[in-house]
Amino acid sequence: MTNATIQEIEGIDDYWGPAFRSIYEGEGHEAFVQQLDERIKQHDKEIEKLCNFHYQGFIDSIRELLQVRSHAEELHAEISNVDANVKDTTDSLCAKAEELIRARRVELNIAATIEKMELCLPLLTTYSKLKSQVEAKRYYPALKTLEQLEHVLLPRVGPYKWCAQISTDIPRLRQAIQDASMADLRDFLENIRKLSPQVGAMALKQTQDMLGRSLASIVKNKKEGISARESTGPQCPHELVDFSPLHRCLHIHSVLGAKNDFIQYYRAQRKQQARLVLIPASVNLHDSIQGVKNYLNAVLGFFILEEHLLSAGAGLVSKDWLLDMWGMSVTKVASTLRTNTSLITDPTLMLSIKHQIVLFINTLKCYGLPTDPLPMLLQEMAEHYTEVLMQRWVVVFRDILDNASFVPIEVENQDQYDEVMDTFPYDGEELETQPFPRKFPFSSSVPAVYVQVKEFIYAWLKYSAGLGLCGARRAAAARQSASLLLSRSFTGCLSALFRRPLPLMQLVQIIVDTQYLEGATLCLYEFISNITGSELVTTQTAGSMFQAARDDAEQQICDKLEKKVDEFLDLENYDWLLVEPTGQASSFVTDMLSYLSGVLTSLEQLPERARVAAVRAATNRIATRLRNLLLDPAVKQISSGALDQLNLDVIQCEQFAAGEPVPGLKEGELLEHFASLRQLLDLITGWDWSSYLHDIGIDGGKYSLVTPRDAAMLLEKLKEAEQKSSVFSVLKKNERDRRKLLDTVLKQLKQLQNQDGS
Amino acid sequence: MAKTYDYLFKLLLIGDSGVGKTSILFRFSEDAFNISFISTIGIDFKIRTIDLDGKKVKLQIWDTAGQERFRTITTAYYRGSMGIMLVYDVTNEKSFENIKNWIRNIEENASADVEKMILGNKCDLEAKRQVSKERGEQLAVEYQIKFIETSAKDSLNVESAFYTLARDIKAKMEKKQEASNPAGARTGGHQLRNEPQRKPTSWLSRCSLL
Repeated sequence: MTNATIQEIEGIDDYWGPAFRSIYEGEGHEAFVQQLDERIKQHDKEIEKLCNFHYQGFIDSIRELLQVRSHAEELHAEISNVDANVKDTTDSLCAKAEELIRARRVELNIAATIEKMELCLPLLTTYSKLKSQVEAKRYYPALKTLEQLEHVLLPRVGPYKWCAQISTDIPRLRQAIQDASMADLRDFLENIRKLSPQVGAMALKQTQDMLGRSLASIVKNKKEGISARESTGPQCPHELVDFSPLHRCLHIHSVLGAKNDFIQYYRAQRKQQARLVLIPASVNLHDSIQGVKNYLNAVLGFFILEEHLLSAGAGLVSKDWLLDMWGMSVTKVASTLRTNTSLITDPTLMLSIKHQIVLFINTLKCYGLPTDPLPMLLQEMAEHYTEVLMQRWVVVFRDILDNASFVPIEVENQDQYDEVMDTFPYDGEELETQPFPRKFPFSSSVPAVYVQVKEFIYAWLKYSAGLGLCGARRAAAARQSASLLLSRSFTGCLSALFRRPLPLMQLVQIIVDTQYLEGATLCLYEFISNITGSELVTTQTAGSMFQAARDDAEQQICDKLEKKVDEFLDLENYDWLLVEPTGQASSFVTDMLSYLSGVLTSLEQLPERARVAAVRAATNRIATRLRNLLLDPAVKQISSGALDQLNLDVIQCEQFAAGEPVPGLKEGELLEHFASLRQLLDLITGWDWSSYLHDIGIDGGKYSLVTPRDAAMLLEKLKEAEQKSSVFSVLKKNERDRRKLLDTVLKQLKQLQNQDGS
Repeated sequence: MAKTYDYLFKLLLIGDSGVGKTSILFRFSEDAFNISFISTIGIDFKIRTIDLDGKKVKLQIWDTAGQERFRTITTAYYRGSMGIMLVYDVTNEKSFENIKNWIRNIEENASADVEKMILGNKCDLEAKRQVSKERGEQLAVEYQIKFIETSAKDSLNVESAFYTLARDIKAKMEKKQEASNPAGARTGGHQLRNEPQRKPTSWLSRCSLL
């Protein structure tokens, strides 16, 4: 028992309670304490044995421990050393590390700055680009840049001070651009003002080339012109002008939102320019063609450019506006040209101006501009041109007529003959066979005038060329002008010619000449038909074109003859108291009659009508003068002898008249001029008073042409003369009777006279 | 009726074509000159009244065509002429030589007592002269005719030529008148009817008048 308890205690570490209780309660305490002592003695013995056994090791260990102590001290020193070393090295390292850290921070900062800067950079480059664009006047891109700057770049960058500055700069720049573009526009406007005449000139030239184009010339141009064409400048007139400033300006203004304002401005400017263009640069366009050319070029150029802008379609020019402007301008152009051309007296200048206007009209058609009222103007100018030409030819005709000798052309040889035949259409069949010198019936002024009329027609047709008239109309107009020239201008010159006295033979020649000229008008018409290429129209006869002139000439011939008759009759030397007639006609009468018959034979070239008129005038004059001689109140007395002498002279004249001095007279026609004189003489010399007084008042009576007044007057003179002669002689019975009868008749005649008078 | 003249003299201009007969007459009658030559056709006349010793003398001057083809017309006028001017052109030898022919013409056709005078015209054209003045004078002496050089263009001696001829005719006429009318009671201031030479028949009237 006690043994087990010890084991139990030994076996169990804790929970010793139950074991102690059992001992405490059991009787075995001494056994137990004894066993416990035994046990203690056993453990002591084991402890002693164990101590014995581990003593050596213990000693050793202490020894070793001592050893370790030294080693440890050794180690400690070593470690301190190392530590110091390490401490030294790490100090620089730390400094480096700190530097590194700072560097790293700087690096980071730099990166951030770069990033910011990169953001700013486009803005700045754009800004500089903007500046350079503005500087290079590329305003439209500049505006675009500006916009980009304003709306994209600036907000992106942020609120920097300089950004704000740029921002404030933007409106200023914009304004500057607008101003600059306006300045450009002004430059452009000025430029096109200078260029538009060239544009017009080029357009006119092209039109001319086009009008003159024919298949042959095109082929020729093709052959020659390919290489040339490449080197040539602009192909179209408007290419002469660089429109880009205008378009730029327009773009700029549309970007700026001021497109309409701009268009209005542009149109207003152009309208003003148009006004300037329409006032001719040189005051007198009629001085030279260059003035007209420049003027038309400028106008045309102006509108070609506008028309181009219209077709370019930028909206700058509207069709209505253009037509409106043109309508205003063309009227002005027409009136300017009208006033200027109306003063021109130079046909060549007129022609060139007409040519320019025609070209102008054609060019206008090419550009689709209405041409009214220019064709009307051309028509008016045509009339003026005709006038101018006529005035010019009046001078020519006057010159020809003033220097004309009016003697028939005489040619000495074939050359001269051919020369005349070449210039004037004359049917020379008869002349052809005659020996030289041959004599044409007309004078040299006839071919001269004929040639001049042809020249006139040439000159006249020059105007109508290119007016687009058809041949027949041109020919008709040319015919009309030519006959107007002849019937008005030439006839006018002829009448002027008749104002001075011309020798008889020249008058005759003029009449003959006009006949040949009239005959040649048909040839002129043929000539016109040939050059105008139209049918010959022969309906218009020019037969009496110069009739007025011929009448003038005939009148002058008559006047001349009458004057000569007067001169002869002024030589009259009647002795009114002649007792006995000489039995011969007075010498002035015989001279006169032989002179007249000589002259009348030399008038044989004259048309019958004219010769008849001349001889009528002459005989009538003779009769009148002789009759007046008889009844002249200054002659107070006429003896019967003187009466017989006069009667003898009258008989001479009557014989001349009855002898048909020129052909074509009615039988006895000339004698009628002497009828009243004859009746008076018969009455007085035949003393046939009874039948006179009986027949008086009866038509067709023997003395119906003798008035009682004339009869009384002559009777009175006879009475006076008889009274005078009877002073010497005693009156016989029959003379007394005669005197009585005479008194009675005289009384009756006086009565009749009074009856007529009352 | 008052007469407008005291004497009427009929004068005749003859000579070759182109010597200036018409020009001389034109100068004398109109005092003008026309350079252009228009040959006279047939015959023409001009009348000018001059004053000679207080008498009004009417000159009826007949201008004849020099061209041969008008000869028959012109010779008819020789008969009635009282004075004849023979005109030649000093620049034209032929016209001077022809003066002899013209004188023969006068002798054949004109009345015997016709007054004659030789005119050397165009004496202004000294450079072209072919006939010297001396030759003209010599010819005149030969025929016992008065001679004078004239220029119708420069109006040289034209007046005096006509006046001389007219004066000679007048003197001759008055002389004849005195011879036929020795009483001399009614000379001067008389009309042509007192000119008995030309109109023998007028003697009758004269007798009966006295």
